[in-house]
Amino acid sequence: MLTSAILQAINGVSLAALLFLLASGFTLSFGLMRVVNMAHGAYYLLGGYIGLSVAQKTGSFALAIVAGGAAIAVLGYFIDHFLIRRTGENHLAQVLLTVGVAFVLGDVALAIWGGDNLMVPAPKFLKGSVVLPGDVYYPMYRLVMIFFGVFVGVVLWLLYKKTQIGAVVRAGVDDREQVNATGINVDLLFVMVSALASFLAGMAGVVGGAFLTLYPGAEWEILVYALVVVIVGGLGSLGGAMIGALVVGLLDAYGRWLLPEFSYFVLFGPIALLMLFRPRGLFGKEH
Amino acid sequence: MDRGRLALSLIALAAALALPFVAGPFWTGLATQMYIFGLLALSVDLLLGHAGLFSLTHASFFAVSAYTVAILQVRYAVPTTLAAPAGILAGTLLAAVFGISVRTRGVYFILITIALGYVVWGVAHRWSSFTGGDNGVTNVPFPAIGGVGITSHTQYYYLVLAVILLCALGYRVLIRSPFGLGLRGIKASETRMQSLGYRTSAHLYAAFVLSGALASLAGVLYVYYNRFVNPVASSFPISVEAALMAIVGGSGTIIGPFLGAGVVLGLRNWVSSFFEMHHAIMGAVFIATVLWAPDGLVGIAARLRARFSRPKEPGP
Amino acid sequence: MNRLKKNVSLHGAVALLAALGMSAVAHAQTGPIKIGVLAPVTGPLATPGKDMVEGWKLFWEQAGHTAGGRKVEYVIADTTCNPDQALTQARRLVHQEKVHFLVGPLCGHEGPAVAQVSKETGVPLVMDAAGADTITKWSRTPSVVRTAVSASQIGHPWGEYMYKELGLRNVTFIGQDYTWGHEVTLGAVRSFTALGGKVAKMIWNPIGTKDYGPTIAGIPEDTDGVSAVVVGADRVRLFEAWFNFGMDRKKKIYGGYWLHQDVLPQMDDRAIGLIGNSLNYAAGLQTPENIAFTTAFAKAYKRLPSWFGESAYTAGLWTKAAIDSINGKVEDRDAFLKAMRTVSVKAPRGPLKLDAYDNPIQNVYVSKIQKIKHPVLGDILTNVPVKTYEGVSQFWTFDPKDFLARGPYKR
Repeated sequence: MLTSAILQAINGVSLAALLFLLASGFTLSFGLMRVVNMAHGAYYLLGGYIGLSVAQKTGSFALAIVAGGAAIAVLGYFIDHFLIRRTGENHLAQVLLTVGVAFVLGDVALAIWGGDNLMVPAPKFLKGSVVLPGDVYYPMYRLVMIFFGVFVGVVLWLLYKKTQIGAVVRAGVDDREQVNATGINVDLLFVMVSALASFLAGMAGVVGGAFLTLYPGAEWEILVYALVVVIVGGLGSLGGAMIGALVVGLLDAYGRWLLPEFSYFVLFGPIALLMLFRPRGLFGKEH
Repeated sequence: MDRGRLALSLIALAAALALPFVAGPFWTGLATQMYIFGLLALSVDLLLGHAGLFSLTHASFFAVSAYTVAILQVRYAVPTTLAAPAGILAGTLLAAVFGISVRTRGVYFILITIALGYVVWGVAHRWSSFTGGDNGVTNVPFPAIGGVGITSHTQYYYLVLAVILLCALGYRVLIRSPFGLGLRGIKASETRMQSLGYRTSAHLYAAFVLSGALASLAGVLYVYYNRFVNPVASSFPISVEAALMAIVGGSGTIIGPFLGAGVVLGLRNWVSSFFEMHHAIMGAVFIATVLWAPDGLVGIAARLRARFSRPKEPGP
Repeated sequence: MNRLKKNVSLHGAVALLAALGMSAVAHAQTGPIKIGVLAPVTGPLATPGKDMVEGWKLFWEQAGHTAGGRKVEYVIADTTCNPDQALTQARRLVHQEKVHFLVGPLCGHEGPAVAQVSKETGVPLVMDAAGADTITKWSRTPSVVRTAVSASQIGHPWGEYMYKELGLRNVTFIGQDYTWGHEVTLGAVRSFTALGGKVAKMIWNPIGTKDYGPTIAGIPEDTDGVSAVVVGADRVRLFEAWFNFGMDRKKKIYGGYWLHQDVLPQMDDRAIGLIGNSLNYAAGLQTPENIAFTTAFAKAYKRLPSWFGESAYTAGLWTKAAIDSINGKVEDRDAFLKAMRTVSVKAPRGPLKLDAYDNPIQNVYVSKIQKIKHPVLGDILTNVPVKTYEGVSQFWTFDPKDFLARGPYKR
């Protein structure tokens, strides 16, 4: 029982690490550009598939992560520039438009990679399990993923808090007029943040594809989790995304274990309540 | 102009009445679905087109009412006269609970309704000892009142047609009432309405519950048509599609959501018969509508009419 | 007795037809025979769906797209493994495409939805793959026959195998949370507990469970074996999670319904030696019929067929035999259904015949994953039978009346 409880905790945290990768980009692009991008899940899936093909061709997992991220960064740029930008700040239009984009991307992925359930091949040294104290076996890959999530989180945090670009982005999240006034090239800034968000989603697809597998429909399943993470944390907050990912990951793991029939209720119920009393999430700011 | 519109309405009504005789069971079935989903789209549009709130949880009311009817009729042999009102009541009660989401606005309203929608879907999907899980509830009978019952899909078509005509008339009265005008006022400027003394949140809450009741009615019509319900009825895509139907047809109008339902359903059935990538086609319709036809078919028709009437105006 | 007589007269008719030659069939034709095939081309079970479509295609290519002297055409409709969509597509095939009969669907819970359309319209349904027990037990429809398998039909022998051959006494059952998963699992539980076995724990997961970590962490310490009944994308995830959590060093897992041929290419040598399935088909079966079939399939599609491929191929074989026997007159629905109920078929998976409840009596093979040298494909993982239960009825060893009185398996 205790062993199970500990295992579930690690399971929850490893799912949280993946969700953070996906949600951080989503929340950043909302925070700065007020863009609600429902195609984020499709970016994840497509990035995963591209990474899979690269891993199969080159045998390199690291290259797969970079390629999956980079390809989606480029794609994300075009979608952002030619489609999303045209909706202005009309969230209704954005949601519909990006749902449409997700449908198209999902079908394109299906046509190229087929309906099979595919797994990104992880490198040899990440396969198998680690023995934790108490004779508990745990998958090496998922442990490493936790560290990877933390690493990405730290990098993003440093970028956000310690660099000049980060300072501008933060200023932009708080007050966009102010950034415009400082004479900084806002368009370039938007492009960079949007590319970063897409890169994170594509990369998450490769990382997630190595243990959750890739298949048609995965884009919606993961998107909903990412949305909930963002809702809990508060739109636009990086720290919120991290806390939100932990809350969602742990609720999911314990819910499935203890109350399997109501696991979605365990996950979404408290979050719906939270939304009613703190509509902006735990760390969201008034806009 | 008014006379022309009346003539058009009469022609449409005559066509609707004649349809089962000329078009055969497939098209009759498709038209029935169009009416049912059009009604769902209309319920979404009460919030979207008139109050400016974009709900993505309307599949919840639709499904809860469908499940209530199905479970009562199939498992407890409750007659239609009780099961159908119970379905509408259950969906409306859920809307009364979910209605508190009108505390939020804009993107937060969209996101919270997505989360609420997933709660309902999750319960339908996983609480399989009660809902039947993925299997759903099968063998729902046709509706019957007393000894008199529907026995074919053609008869059911006329029943649905009658119901949606009544709904459309009621809806028309509603949106032209002070209540409906109040909603429009809130959509245009909530702060101004507040300064005029409106309790805007109460107003929106009432609209939300009404809209949920309408979605529940659509759920009842759906379950008696499909005679089967499973978690798909409560799923996110149903909510998105309902909103899409309203926008494709023309948000803020009555005929629009029904036209939109016709376009979306027709396209899906037609395209999927010869083209594997039918989701991509649907996606393209989403994108095209948002970018080029935000006012939908009704908007396009209005634009065309404006263009054709222009030559009559005196030249410069 | 009655059935035997019909069979004799049928053979008589066939013989007469053969004697008359092609001239007899030449003037009975009114255009091609049109068949509607319902398969999940997209969605969570797209891989099995592809196998189904290709098994079906292979058969009709071999048969030259003719049966009973008429041309055969088929329309494939995508059900996406969703009962709602299956219902819509079935209605479309019947009303719009005007098919003579329907074949499919694949997913268990789509079965009752499509059967409803057959009931509404009287268009015969040859149920391939979808295994919902109720179709050939509690809610039988005169216009529906099954050529594949009833879910608990493979579950019952599996329970006995675990008790008698594997010597298990306290088993944890992992089952997919929908009709097929319930019925296969609970069928096994019934025969297993009837012999004296105990259920350590039941763990249900919905189709498309992302993470099998929580499931694995929930397996009780004192269980002496785990039975897996999983479908679609979940099969690989359970496989990976099992090894990644080091469970292979602690416990034994056995597939009641798990490592089908269509998923083996995504697995590696860790699968070798695992009991993969208790099923009415195993691609490694060494009968002349199966060797001919798997060789042709391998040549056409560069892989081995799963039971979905074989099942669709056999549905083709079976319907062609029926159409041939009625001289191509599929417009006579009763005659077609009667022919489906009376012909017997020598399929790749073994001899087949319908019981009095329209479900095939057939062999069930418990199979083990082995790496074999295939003449066309080279080294390949496949299911090799280790135990054959011959002529298994959907009612197993129980009396049909008692079985029916007991009601369906429900979790």
